[in-house]
Amino acid sequence: MRTGTVYTETVVHLAPTKFAANVPYQVAIVDLEDGERLTARISGDRVAIGDLVSETESHHEIPYFRKS
Amino acid sequence: MSYGRRVAIVGAGKTAFGAFADRDLRSLAVAAGRKALANARMEPGTIESFYLGNFAGPEFTGQNHLAPWISSSLGMTGIPSTRFEAACASSGAAFFQAFMGVASGVYDAVLVVGVEKMTCQPTARVTEILAGAGDGDTEVRVGSTFPSLFAMIARRHMHDFGTTREHLASVAVKNHENGALNPDAQMRKVITLEQAMNGRPIAEPLNLYDCSLISDGAAAVVLCAADRAREFSDKPVQVLGVAQASDFVALDRKRDITTFPALKAAADSAYKMAGVTAKDIEFAELHDCFTIAEIVAMEDLGFVERGRGGFFSLAGGTRRDGTMPVNASGGLKAKGHPVGATGVGQLCDIIQQLRCEAGDRQLKRHSLGLAQNLGGSGATCVVTILGCY
Repeated sequence: MRTGTVYTETVVHLAPTKFAANVPYQVAIVDLEDGERLTARISGDRVAIGDLVSETESHHEIPYFRKS
Repeated sequence: MSYGRRVAIVGAGKTAFGAFADRDLRSLAVAAGRKALANARMEPGTIESFYLGNFAGPEFTGQNHLAPWISSSLGMTGIPSTRFEAACASSGAAFFQAFMGVASGVYDAVLVVGVEKMTCQPTARVTEILAGAGDGDTEVRVGSTFPSLFAMIARRHMHDFGTTREHLASVAVKNHENGALNPDAQMRKVITLEQAMNGRPIAEPLNLYDCSLISDGAAAVVLCAADRAREFSDKPVQVLGVAQASDFVALDRKRDITTFPALKAAADSAYKMAGVTAKDIEFAELHDCFTIAEIVAMEDLGFVERGRGGFFSLAGGTRRDGTMPVNASGGLKAKGHPVGATGVGQLCDIIQQLRCEAGDRQLKRHSLGLAQNLGGSGATCVVTILGCY
């Protein structure tokens, strides 16, 4: 499981048709430990810049992270 | 790099921006094109090449092959007629190509039209179409929207520089104040700082008042070789500098998202071409698709030090009576943002000021103006510097 640090985040309230049923949901850009950067969904508690997160699961090829 | 021949703008025209149920994409584009030609006292037959800026006409309306669909309706056939797509910088990109067509000596007179028809789709579908300007393989796949990308920029800018919610709101308040004076603006309503800070959340920390509008509209300019400018206009405008630059489409590919490298690159080139610096610019139309975008643009253009854009805005520096008036038109926020029309629309607003035709919004210093048009979350940027003769 990949781990990383939240570089930035937002909570989406107005979504495209495809994700309209999911709002509000959190999206974050995560700095992974290997130096890569990734845009991911956040599950569970809301996270803030600097929070440590780890990957939980992947739904329909969407990476999900949660607060470590 | 050589800059070629000198180029002038001899005609400008645009439709009002707004939600027009009875106007289709073509009728908007044709109306703006006709206005620009009339303003240049030019017959359609004089135009040697047609450049269309449009982001998502096929997705919004179902019509493709848009450039000749429009130019033939303007009475032009037998000439090159091409659509340029660069997200919200589509007509900025079309203008840049048109400029090169004249600067190179290939053409003496060309027409650029920017157009978008958006209000024919429900908001969720508009959000989806606009998200097409992001990276579908990464950020869009996980549910990013355009507001959410700029929200993430805002969050990081607040974290790194101490930018506040109040700073963001001050941009919206100022642009609404200007838009209220603009007869062609979509939103002619003054708002308070408190209102702007407490709008319905769209993508935190951005709320409704941080976001530009969903609009229909078109704008057009006629370019010609500078040595022929007086044949067509008593008030020609000089294209002193224009440059375009690109960057990654995905926000997560950028090392630092609180700055737009493409904007800086385009600005550097445009300043150099015009032989001016940021200090010489008297007023600007900046791409405030979201309030944070105006703040970052102020910094990347060198109007303020990095990190100070929000502070400068709240202190009133960008108001019409400030030291650097920004978006005296009302900006994308209040004037409206028919995305493919925005770049050329900004030029029309600058031209109006240069020609002293801006009515209640006329600025005191109006001889050197800059327009900045951004595509996506910064993957395309066009910067144009216009001056009086």
